[in-house]
Amino acid sequence: MAEAPAQAVGRMRLVESLVLGAAALALTAGVGAVLLLLGGYDPMAAAAAMVRGAFGSWTAFTSITLVRSVPLILTGLAVAFAFRAGVWNIGAEGQLYAGALAAVWVGLQAATLPPLLLLPLVLSASLVAGGLWALVPTLMRLRLGVGEVITTILMNFVGIYLAAYMVHGPLQERRGVFPQTDALPEAGRLPALLPGTALHWGFALSLLLAGALAVALRYSRFGFQLRAVGASPEAASVAGRIDVGRILFVAFLGSGAIAGMAGGVQVSGVTFALYEDLSPGWGYTAIAVALLAGLNPAGVVVTGVLFGALQAGAGAMQRDAGIPASWVGVVEALVILAVLCLDRVRRRVGKEAS
Amino acid sequence: MQWSIAKAFPGTVLCLAVVLSACAGDGSDPAEDTLQAALLTSGPVSDAGWYAGAYEGLLLIEDSLGAQVSHQQTATPAEFDEAFLAYGSSGYDLIFAHGFEYQDAAIRAGSRFPDATIVVSGGGRVADNVVPLIFRLEEGSYLAGMAAGTLTQAGIVGMVGGVAIPPARGTFVAFEAGVRAVNPDIEVLETFTGDWNDVSAAKEAAVAQLSRGADVIIHNLDAASFGVFQAVREAVADGRRVRAIGMNSDQNDVAPDVIIGSAVIYIPQAFLETARRWEAGNVGGEPIYASIREGVIDFVFNPELLGELPEGLVQEIADARDQIRSGELEVPRVRFVEGDDDPPSGGSE
Repeated sequence: MAEAPAQAVGRMRLVESLVLGAAALALTAGVGAVLLLLGGYDPMAAAAAMVRGAFGSWTAFTSITLVRSVPLILTGLAVAFAFRAGVWNIGAEGQLYAGALAAVWVGLQAATLPPLLLLPLVLSASLVAGGLWALVPTLMRLRLGVGEVITTILMNFVGIYLAAYMVHGPLQERRGVFPQTDALPEAGRLPALLPGTALHWGFALSLLLAGALAVALRYSRFGFQLRAVGASPEAASVAGRIDVGRILFVAFLGSGAIAGMAGGVQVSGVTFALYEDLSPGWGYTAIAVALLAGLNPAGVVVTGVLFGALQAGAGAMQRDAGIPASWVGVVEALVILAVLCLDRVRRRVGKEAS
Repeated sequence: MQWSIAKAFPGTVLCLAVVLSACAGDGSDPAEDTLQAALLTSGPVSDAGWYAGAYEGLLLIEDSLGAQVSHQQTATPAEFDEAFLAYGSSGYDLIFAHGFEYQDAAIRAGSRFPDATIVVSGGGRVADNVVPLIFRLEEGSYLAGMAAGTLTQAGIVGMVGGVAIPPARGTFVAFEAGVRAVNPDIEVLETFTGDWNDVSAAKEAAVAQLSRGADVIIHNLDAASFGVFQAVREAVADGRRVRAIGMNSDQNDVAPDVIIGSAVIYIPQAFLETARRWEAGNVGGEPIYASIREGVIDFVFNPELLGELPEGLVQEIADARDQIRSGELEVPRVRFVEGDDDPPSGGSE
């Protein structure tokens, strides 16, 4: 008897949350539709193009949505790994460029090696370079106490401009005409994961990595220490006798290495050469990908594919519904807002239920 | 409990997908014999220049040839393959990729979709169904140089560019030659900002050249050209007598108070002509050249500022244009197409 009022209140809150969620979804859809109508575009055609572009066919789903999700998953994992340890690595973008640069450089230098050697070498180079790119902010944080938010952002600019310099200068294609590198030899390229599609082995790699990180974080001694440091470095140090500096060091460099590999995978799986504007800001989108996934590696795969689908759909909105890129950007942002609202509601419902 | 998004989202996405695809229906398939033409740009078609001209060209093909058309603005090289894939697998016949940056992806897509023809503006690689469309803009730029050399009072002129790729360098080499044809002692300043669309970088570069004494500035930029015009306008407001020259499309009405003329590519006409050649089966295996001879390149004075031109200049430019058309005057250029040793200046037909 005593529980009845509490249950009733719980149910009411549940209903309230669901209504809120539906309202949030309806509101964003409504705002999007009104905006498109104001611009003179057909909202239904836009929505249809978006869904078709992302999920409409096997080709669209594998060669576009999943291909787009690979760099988002990898950089998302990099960010999630660092954030779980309380390391605010905003530098995935620069680490990605460092990785891409190293991958292309090594791939071109060692072009004559057989695939079994060259491909691992190319990917390892990107791992190492990404880690090294993170080393500067790591040392500045651990030795000098300089906040990594600022240093990692600054290292992004260094990475982006270094790549731009290299494709105009030392690494420019042999003909010396266009600002890009020569293409990686076949042996340095990731093979197709599914025959007949553009989906490359980088997708499988990102799934494997997500699985490994999920297991390591949850079950390993290191994973426990990392989560403890992330929750409270002082408590971990005093009560848990954890070497906080060592954990932060590994988390930071590991995060940089994963982001670097995102760059290596992108050049060896998709573009095959380095260009100066390789990334549309994956390293920054990665923060949204990771946070939306609750910094959970398995969740990052889901949110990575979700963002990949959104971008794939955005391309189709331009092609099939004739909506200009800037309008598509607005709709994309609205969808992300809707997803964030739903995410909040889902959490609240989860809390009420338990 | 750690809340897992993995459990919640597939459901949400699936619901959304089902609901939306229910109202989506099938894409309307165009008739078999309708020309399907697509355009890829890596910048906004609202730039009143390079990309805008391409978009107008696409619309012109739609109007004149009854084609079904589509456009996508891509952001990064990773999207190039994807866009070609989307258009190629939807059966598009003619894909205009408006920039050299598309050429590698175009070659890959060309071998995957042998039925599609890809035209890469300013590209350097050639295949059976992948052809560069080379605008001989240096011819218009040479005429602009003659005008600038005549107009400058300080004896200093400036050039602000985006990325120093060969087609862009070519326009500046020719501009400089045009300036020197008038007066070999004129100083020519050159800056590449590294970005076609960065308005503030272009403005800074123009301001720097103005402060070094330049009084005529030409650009080879996309959306960033507004920065150059703004810098010149501000100098005029400060009481200096300086002028700008537009490039890529007729920009005379973008800043009619300061732009003396524009070195123009009539991109729409070039696109339409290319589409017509494609319909006649004449596109493939070799570059397409578009020059003054085809009426695709020109230098046009701003009608609103004609009054301030020195006497005889318009006639001199017209004479030089005729000489270029007849081949009597050869404009220096930068070669960058594979296997291009000395192509005929008037196109490849």
